[in-house]
Amino acid sequence: MAAGVAVRVRDVSKRFRIYHRRNLTLKQALLQRRRGVFEEFLALQGVSFEVEQGGALGIIGENGSGKSTLLKCIAGILQPDRGSIETHGRVAALLELGAGFHPEYTGRENVYLNGALIGLPRRYIDRVMDEIVAFSELERFIDNPVRTYSSGMYARLGFSIAVHLDPDVLVVDEVLAVGDEAFQQRCYDRIARMRAEGRTLIMVSHALEPIREFCSDCIWLDRGQVRERGSAATVVARYLAEVNARESALMAGEVERVHQLVPSGRGGVGVTRVRFEGADGPTHVFETGDPFEMVIEYHAPARLEGARFSVGFQREDGVMAFSTTTEDTELAASSLPPRGEVRLRIPSLPLLEGLFRASVSISDARSGEPYTILENAFPFRVRSQGVKEKGMALLGHRWELPAAIARRSVEA
Amino acid sequence: MVKPSIPPSVALPRSGHALNRERLRQLVRRELTARYRGSVMGVAWSLLNPVVYMIVYTVVFSKFMRFNIPGTPYPVYLLSGLLAWNFLTQSISASINSILGNAALVKKVAFPWIMLTVATVISAFVNYAISLVLLAPLLIFFHVPVSPALALLPVVTAVLFAFALGLSLGLAAVNVYFRDIEYLTMIAIQVWFFMTPVIYQLDQILAISQGSRLFTVFRWILYVNPMTWVVSAFQDLIAFHRWPAHWPGLLYAAGVGVLVLAAGTLLFQRLSRRFAEEL
Repeated sequence: MAAGVAVRVRDVSKRFRIYHRRNLTLKQALLQRRRGVFEEFLALQGVSFEVEQGGALGIIGENGSGKSTLLKCIAGILQPDRGSIETHGRVAALLELGAGFHPEYTGRENVYLNGALIGLPRRYIDRVMDEIVAFSELERFIDNPVRTYSSGMYARLGFSIAVHLDPDVLVVDEVLAVGDEAFQQRCYDRIARMRAEGRTLIMVSHALEPIREFCSDCIWLDRGQVRERGSAATVVARYLAEVNARESALMAGEVERVHQLVPSGRGGVGVTRVRFEGADGPTHVFETGDPFEMVIEYHAPARLEGARFSVGFQREDGVMAFSTTTEDTELAASSLPPRGEVRLRIPSLPLLEGLFRASVSISDARSGEPYTILENAFPFRVRSQGVKEKGMALLGHRWELPAAIARRSVEA
Repeated sequence: MVKPSIPPSVALPRSGHALNRERLRQLVRRELTARYRGSVMGVAWSLLNPVVYMIVYTVVFSKFMRFNIPGTPYPVYLLSGLLAWNFLTQSISASINSILGNAALVKKVAFPWIMLTVATVISAFVNYAISLVLLAPLLIFFHVPVSPALALLPVVTAVLFAFALGLSLGLAAVNVYFRDIEYLTMIAIQVWFFMTPVIYQLDQILAISQGSRLFTVFRWILYVNPMTWVVSAFQDLIAFHRWPAHWPGLLYAAGVGVLVLAAGTLLFQRLSRRFAEEL
């Protein structure tokens, strides 16, 4: 079968009205002779691309970059102001799971209702009902009203109905964020199966991992325009580089403000500046396994005798990830110049994905009395691309197999 | 070749018509049953309303207040006109929020949204059919005979349906843009009721040859109002068991009905292009 085009988007533009004051009543509109005061906002500007049959396109971009608008245009919910969108075959758009469920209806009744709305006839549902229920794992609850369902159950049923639409083109918005991890995994498995069957996929996700996993191509939307298009790996990498650079700059600004605000500590001893350094110089964003350095510039009125430096990393959720001091090191016993740098070096950062804040303190090693404490003042981000392990830290590990299997794999 | 996830024997139909019928069926079902879900009597509640108002009207207007309409008992006259009028007002009042009230659905699922409004009108029609059936015992009770003219009822009903659907579509769409249309409409319906010969008789008004200026205006309104002719046709067919007395009026109403339906549909289609962003 020659691969044709499944979705062709040509020069699509979409304008929204942002009302400063909106006349939602006829009375106001007649009195003021207009529908309100509004500004036009170009949500999409001249967006063009094609997706071949069996292709998989990821769409990434920041909030407000037009991703959802684009998906709604493809789904036919919004009409573009300019340009055209052609789709071939049945399009299923999963913009919201279980949209239109009636709370008083049972799960089973809602399968028929929601199914009919998205395009499943009753007789077809009759035949695949068991499969839908089995996939959603709601056997025990399917005859209860859905108002008694949790949001996860709601989404599970919604997704189970939608995948039975047997679409030629599957359009997925950030819907899989709900539901527990096991169900998410099965949704992704199902999407992978549909890909293998040669169906076309268009996917918007904030999580970049699924984009990299499922999509061959990717477009990066920036303020309504296609900023870059290419292989998913390349575009995601470029996008991430920019996001990191921006976050790093924001964090650097935050640190700058801390230094301006915080005076020297007791006895004129203080932290002049703290910076993080990665393999390519100063940054606030690291990958798991990257070299990591934290540089603390200090100042004192005279030579600093017997000072103790402490550093701690706290994760966003308040969990202490790591702390260390210079106590019992050479540094604690030595006499330091009035100005200088102390460096904490971690050759390969084992922390996993998360936002961390570093605290720094300098104190007198003998009395234990602090000169200065800067608590949670220095933010840095850790990303774990391509790392499957979860948790706080990547511990060095190895799995050992039963001897019989190990021998066979050696022989093979 | 990878095995498809759905066996071909359960292949989905590709035609849109079958699907739209299915959507309509499900939406009408939702309109009719969802409201009473969880109540002890269930859908029986929807029967209670017409039964009660029929009994009350009959008792009140045959025992306590007596209006004389030559040729038929007043309760039968009143209820046959109300049958038509109530279908119109129920259609409009249920449909006017059919888009606004389903905002979550319209913003997230692409399907012909016109189904939402059509479904509310059809559910009003089901209530109309129930009321029509309930009229039968009343006719027997008052010894009102059934004439062959009743065969014309489906035609007159079609005119009424077209008119009600057209108005409902237009109002449901406009209400998305101007939210006070709903209140304006409800007030207009109250006034309109008295400009339509439901409680009084058209022929009695037409028989008065002279009157004040205001009365002349009132007569003109009666002439222009298409519901005048629809309602009086209902009264002719059911209460007076005769052929419609005002053929030109009925033809005029049919013409207006078709025009209103066309205009309402066009307006809906035009305005629906921006529903998802206006909601």
